[in-house]
Amino acid sequence: MPKIEVNEELFFGLAGKTWSDKEEFEEDLTVAKAELDEWDTSLSADRERTIKIELNDTNRPDLWSTAGLARQLRMYRTRSIPSYPFFASRKKALKAPYRVVVEKSVKGVRPWLAGLVAKGKPISDALLRDMIQTQEKLAWNFGRKRKGVSIGIYRIALIEWPVHYRGVDPDKVSFVPLQETRTMTLNQILEQHPKGIEYASILKGRPVHPLLTDAKGRVLSYPPIINSADLGAVQVGDAEIFIEVTGSDYPSVALSSAIMACDLADMGFEIDNVQVDYEYDTPFGSSVVFPYYFQEEVSVPLDDANRLLGSSLEMADALEALTRMGLCAYSTDGAVIHVAPPEYRNDFLHPFDIVEDIMIGVGMEKFVPQRPTDFTIGRLTPIERFSRKAKSIMVGLGYQEMIYNYLGSGKDYAEKMQVSAEGLVKIANPMTENYEYVRNSPLPGLLQTESVSAKASYPHRTFEVGKVVLKAPEVNYGVVTRQYIGFLTSHAQADYNEIASHVAAFMYLLGKEYTVRESSDSRFVPGRQVDVLVDGARVGIFGELHPLVLEAFGVMMPCAAGELDLEMLLED
Amino acid sequence: MIDQSAARALHPLEVKIILAFSSGDMIDSARVREKLGFKEGQDQQAFSWLVAKGVLEEADRQTEVFYELTPFGQEWHDEGTPVRRIFSLLRESGPLSLPDIAQKLGFDQKTVGSAFGALSKEGVCAMDESRRAVLARPELPQSLLDTEALLDAAAAHNGSLPETSLTPQQKALVAQYAKKRGAQDAPFRIAERAKVLFRLTPLASEYREAVTALGMTGEELGAITPEMLEKGTWKQGSFRPYNLQIPPARVIPGRRNPYVEFLDSVKDKLVSLGFEEFDGNMVETEFWNSDALFMPQFHSARDIHDVYYIEEPTHAKFIEEPYLSRVAAAHEHGGNTGSRGWQYQFDRDFTRRLILRSQGTVLSARQLPKAKVPGKYFGIVRCFRYDRVDATHLSDFYQTEGIVLGEDVNLRTLLGFLEMFAVEVAGAKEVKYVPGYFPFTEPSIEVHIKHPVLGWFELGGSGIFRPEVTRSLGVDVPVLAWGIGIDRMALMALGLNDLRELFSADLESVRMRRSQYKIQ
Repeated sequence: MPKIEVNEELFFGLAGKTWSDKEEFEEDLTVAKAELDEWDTSLSADRERTIKIELNDTNRPDLWSTAGLARQLRMYRTRSIPSYPFFASRKKALKAPYRVVVEKSVKGVRPWLAGLVAKGKPISDALLRDMIQTQEKLAWNFGRKRKGVSIGIYRIALIEWPVHYRGVDPDKVSFVPLQETRTMTLNQILEQHPKGIEYASILKGRPVHPLLTDAKGRVLSYPPIINSADLGAVQVGDAEIFIEVTGSDYPSVALSSAIMACDLADMGFEIDNVQVDYEYDTPFGSSVVFPYYFQEEVSVPLDDANRLLGSSLEMADALEALTRMGLCAYSTDGAVIHVAPPEYRNDFLHPFDIVEDIMIGVGMEKFVPQRPTDFTIGRLTPIERFSRKAKSIMVGLGYQEMIYNYLGSGKDYAEKMQVSAEGLVKIANPMTENYEYVRNSPLPGLLQTESVSAKASYPHRTFEVGKVVLKAPEVNYGVVTRQYIGFLTSHAQADYNEIASHVAAFMYLLGKEYTVRESSDSRFVPGRQVDVLVDGARVGIFGELHPLVLEAFGVMMPCAAGELDLEMLLED
Repeated sequence: MIDQSAARALHPLEVKIILAFSSGDMIDSARVREKLGFKEGQDQQAFSWLVAKGVLEEADRQTEVFYELTPFGQEWHDEGTPVRRIFSLLRESGPLSLPDIAQKLGFDQKTVGSAFGALSKEGVCAMDESRRAVLARPELPQSLLDTEALLDAAAAHNGSLPETSLTPQQKALVAQYAKKRGAQDAPFRIAERAKVLFRLTPLASEYREAVTALGMTGEELGAITPEMLEKGTWKQGSFRPYNLQIPPARVIPGRRNPYVEFLDSVKDKLVSLGFEEFDGNMVETEFWNSDALFMPQFHSARDIHDVYYIEEPTHAKFIEEPYLSRVAAAHEHGGNTGSRGWQYQFDRDFTRRLILRSQGTVLSARQLPKAKVPGKYFGIVRCFRYDRVDATHLSDFYQTEGIVLGEDVNLRTLLGFLEMFAVEVAGAKEVKYVPGYFPFTEPSIEVHIKHPVLGWFELGGSGIFRPEVTRSLGVDVPVLAWGIGIDRMALMALGLNDLRELFSADLESVRMRRSQYKIQ
């Protein structure tokens, strides 16, 4: 979930309210599903104070900026929805003073581009930092680490229009990227520049890479990797900037440019349109003026909303609530609510998505919790009930119940156990080799206890009831999860006879007839280990643990142990 | 003045000494044994207790030397000395070579050699021309008979001969055999013991008065034995009171694990609220873990660095129909769910990818096709996350999840449930609901509670399953979905502050751990 840092003065100014009480601020943030993360009011002067805020809604990128979050809080309080007249749409044509040409050559690699121009006031330090943060959050979280969306910002003064967006041979084009002083080819940037290395996977191996140049052919940027050091550097004090968004997903590209435009407008900039001429057709046409309003109207019957909320809201209440959320909503028949999503939002997938906005607009405190009336019978799973029975027998036999993690190392699960790792399910992308395998037996956990508990008074008698994962090529997933019990006794006289007596008592009390058959498991001493058979089926094993196993775990006390498949014992 | 409880705490041996002697009397082991019939050791025990209480004080101390039979000496006594046994053998069997003697008597060569040497020196034995030992005289020399007499005397004294009881000749003889602290092959060892003379202090009289007043005799009954019960002998005596303040010896009971017991208590609570438990595979597909929950395949939470992938096998063979087609349609364009979908090409290969389940909601999704209406289901299940393990993160941990299906469930009934969990399960005094976000619910609610100890914290997340989720899985009624985080409550209940401690392998710390939670 994205976390942003807002300048206190800038944020309070845009929100139209000054908070001094933390609790009240936190309360107000809930309408944007935002949480206060850090706000150290004791630090520095307010001008420089920052507030860290976490945003929970991954489908509302418009809230991941100072202006966007402030807008939501402001509208909720004032019920006044700002208008952004600079948006073109299918129904509304606008003339654009700037033009970008998107050439056919880029279609196969990164086809979509949107742009806008902001002017009218010099950029302050706080504003510049905020703009860069918005750019990063949109590209990283919403744009899936620049794959879906990336954003470039430029000083207009240096650009000759129209700007061209085209696909080029990555070995034939070179320029000086930001944070560098030498000319590099695109492939060199991918291999050597820190940003190139970070985002190389998006373009590596492609025959054609995207490039943005001005009318004179000077490079603006190499999307989504890096800007040029000449035309692509923005500084405090610049008064006219060009913003472009490129990417692989058109609605996300258009929405990101809309969010940037609305934010900058809220902060007092004038927005100029940019006409983007494609050499191919797009869902919005081949010549699109940005910022572009592409969202479709959505509607939901008031009855549906009331049913979902358990409420009895009147149409006026619902419309009022939606207004507080910043949505232009209306009804022509008093039964169906229609909503035109705001320019900066595209999160209405289902009519029910409107209902949540009604809920927040009305206010959570208005919904009184209601005790459920449906009668249902509660019960535990059969295996849980059976396991509890097994546990009480083990406790009666003097065993201490343990619980362990299910992930571990090949060393603990296979090597030390003197078994092959073949039978274990391995993780393809482990974080460390300490958590690389899923266990297939409870015994390594119990032995881990022995290896760290030599100082605890003997006898040690431990057991665990828990899951194991076994390979089973015949089933759909190729693996099965089973509920096992593992048990271990350790002291100077621990031996086969003791564990055999305990298994006998355990099986008797569970009402299970069983026989034993000598087994040959490398974890146990030969001639002192048996398979446990119930109706001819093998349900587990017990015996004296092999000194090789004990030595590998650093255990200097004899141990006898066993494991049984509780699910097999539960059957019949 | 000695109070009654101090007198009552006296051991019968102490009582007997206090009653038998008076302040100022001088006593030692011999006297006590003679007068009170104490067995060996009892006198020393009683002396040490009485000295500690200040009833006795040391008046004089002398060191006495004892010659004690070693196990080797005991063997000489029981079986005969090697000299005696060789002598007897030769007398019965006639001449024998030394190795034959060793073999017949089970001695080693060295023992036979030195015994034969001793017999030769005394002129009892000789070697004949074929190097066999033969008897030269028909009886044993006096010195060897003296040795045997000494062994007999020692055995008669419980294996311990006071030096003072020996004649000078005996002393000289025993000195040949004895080594200080006793070597393995010597029949005697020298032991020095202090002989202490004690004086009864004036406190003895005070104790005596108290003991007499209580009617104690030192003959009270100790442990009740089956024999006493059988014969009824307990009827003639009175029971000696025990010192009840002595810390008891430790026992190690078999017991449940306190963390698992805590989880069980939550399960029981949910069952009591009408929920039926579900469970399932820890290895799951992307389909059930996320796709069926309408999380788009490009969602940031589905990154390679958020879930664990299985190395082998990599994919399930198939995904159950009609769910696969319906879910794919919901993602692509909404299908029959009333949604416009996420508008992308659903990857039917990726959806079969096997992973370790990352959220318990997977089981809620799996329950939907077979759920009853009305129905309530829950599970407390192990989930896996790609996280660095530390005090607040584990690579595998428990999640508590559930669903409620019903014709008439809605946001307010959801709040009703959350309130019930907050009060019944978490013991909350105040509850607060705030809008939340989960990809599979709309609307989504977070519930925060004010805990008596922890203060305000997020108890869990919840919401109403999106129609894209429920309709694709064949459910047409609203479904409430909730998850509660109980790790913090578990830590508090167990008095811990590190999540790793919940799964501790350390036996002693698990044995000693106590749970502090109250089951309501």
